[in-house]
Amino acid sequence: MAQRETTVGPEAGIHGRPAARILKAAKSFSSQIFLVKGDREVNAKSIIKITGFARKGEQVIVRAEGDDAEQAVETVAAEISADED
Amino acid sequence: MKLSGVGASEGVAVGPAFVPRTGGSEPERTGIGEGEVEAELGRFGDAVRVVAARISETAEGLRESGNEDEAGIFDFHAEMAEDPELASAVEERVKNLQSPEAAVLAAGEEYAAEFEAIEDEYLSSRADDVRDVARQISAELMGQADSGFEALYEPSVVLAKSLAPSDTARIPKGLALAFVTAEGSRTSHVSIMARSMGIPAVVGVGDALSGALEAETVAVDGTEGSAITDPDPETVARFDKLSQALAEERVALDQYRHAEARTADGLRIEVAANLGSASEAEEALEWGAEGVGLFRTEFLFMERDDLPTEEEQYDAYSTVARAFGHKPVIIRTLDVGGDKNLPGVDQIHEDNPFLGWRGIRMSLDTPDLFKPQLRALLRAAAHGNVKVMFPMVVEAGELLAAKEMLAEARRELEEQGADVGEIETGVMIETPAAAVCAAELAAEAAFFSIGTNDLVQYTLAADRGNERLRRLQGADHPAVLALIRQTCSAAQEANIPVGVCGEAAGDPQLIPNLLDLGVTELSMAAPSIPKAKKVVSEWKRT
Repeated sequence: MAQRETTVGPEAGIHGRPAARILKAAKSFSSQIFLVKGDREVNAKSIIKITGFARKGEQVIVRAEGDDAEQAVETVAAEISADED
Repeated sequence: MKLSGVGASEGVAVGPAFVPRTGGSEPERTGIGEGEVEAELGRFGDAVRVVAARISETAEGLRESGNEDEAGIFDFHAEMAEDPELASAVEERVKNLQSPEAAVLAAGEEYAAEFEAIEDEYLSSRADDVRDVARQISAELMGQADSGFEALYEPSVVLAKSLAPSDTARIPKGLALAFVTAEGSRTSHVSIMARSMGIPAVVGVGDALSGALEAETVAVDGTEGSAITDPDPETVARFDKLSQALAEERVALDQYRHAEARTADGLRIEVAANLGSASEAEEALEWGAEGVGLFRTEFLFMERDDLPTEEEQYDAYSTVARAFGHKPVIIRTLDVGGDKNLPGVDQIHEDNPFLGWRGIRMSLDTPDLFKPQLRALLRAAAHGNVKVMFPMVVEAGELLAAKEMLAEARRELEEQGADVGEIETGVMIETPAAAVCAAELAAEAAFFSIGTNDLVQYTLAADRGNERLRRLQGADHPAVLALIRQTCSAAQEANIPVGVCGEAAGDPQLIPNLLDLGVTELSMAAPSIPKAKKVVSEWKRT
């Protein structure tokens, strides 16, 4: 298992185009990937679950379980913190 | 019968009414037998693939025709159709012997309710996306892949409770003359679609729509936000004329849109846009804006429980500054009064918020509110041609105090090694006092911007929301024009420019008056820009 904390970068928070990029990144790995905020945990490969999950500036933990967990966490966290809408 | 709603896409149209047959009829079969679970799960998987492929195909088609934004909506729907969480929710229900067509509707409804519970207009609109996708999968499972638009064969006005992207996308090209919906707002998909299709739309007419469904003909005015069912011949004639005039005008104005605004005798006049949020910048540029004459910052402070951080403000201001490059962007500091609650600011009830503690009065008394905004502005100024102006000023002392605070913010930022830019400071002339003291203000300001809406209401002592005071709401009242004249001559003495950013600036009847008085910048709602440039090009100094 791997995990990392990161800060939401896009102005719009996690929805719209940023959500689509996070989803694409998550789907490119075989690991199970979760986003955690407080006591909420959602499947990072679900557009329904990640849309509106966090606003800009909020802290989110990316957690992954599987063969490519390390890399999955790095890649997904990078998309979440990207300062791009 | 007249329906009133929100004008979501401008223009007018008259045509036969068309009501799409509401798709997604309730599944007749809600339960299945124990032996059927595997086979039904297989059917669900197939339906998901068919629906996702169909949606992706629509996205591809839109992308090829250059409609990238609309294509994005369909990409989002395709992802939703294939969502693993939706699939496992359906799987669980099917294992409990619910039919997949009923299960997907129920699961979709659960997610839709979650989105609706979030207090955010954008996210609550996503509830309809989930419902739309679930309905498509359910219809596919029931073998009803039709769209409800099969009977549409002549150009018509489409009336519906709401219109999902999958609906609007399946309307054969050219057959929708206009949309009228009971639900929706300016940011709903149907509104975005209508604007990109260039057809009028009136949304949010409410229950009144049910009374209009039997109409033969409908006349739609998307500019005013109204629709008339079974209009009489005079109304039809009026709409036809309006429609023709609008079409001709649109073509005729296109040549002005991106041209530099100059008067007939060569005087340069800047025609700029008023922005209510950072997201309006691109659209303003497309309308031909030569700058931003008024960027209201209130949007950052509304509909939230905390105050926006310096960082958030910096992001919004610098986004617009970057979008406009070397073109000027005039940002107005916060202008709210006792009628809007601000977290962390000690407000008291005021009987008369427009004459109360608002604008620069509140800012100067609340450094915790004002300082972060000034810091964000100074930092944003490093990325473009940013100017700041202060609202509700009535005397030069207020301007001096605000400039002092700005200088202090600059010193702090420079000590911290932050990247800051040059910034001109101007004054909104929106109180009679400011116009009367224009000479003193001009000595300290780099520019003036006349806010005619408030100047009219304060000068004539006439609430601009009061319908009975219509005759006292025009900027062409002699007292208002006298104050504008006084402002312009004080500015000319001091050699500083004067702009106008109220509704008068975009009014073709008033523009020549304003130019006569010496105004050199006009800032307005973006769609008024091409027409304003044309009016400017026809004027010359007497």
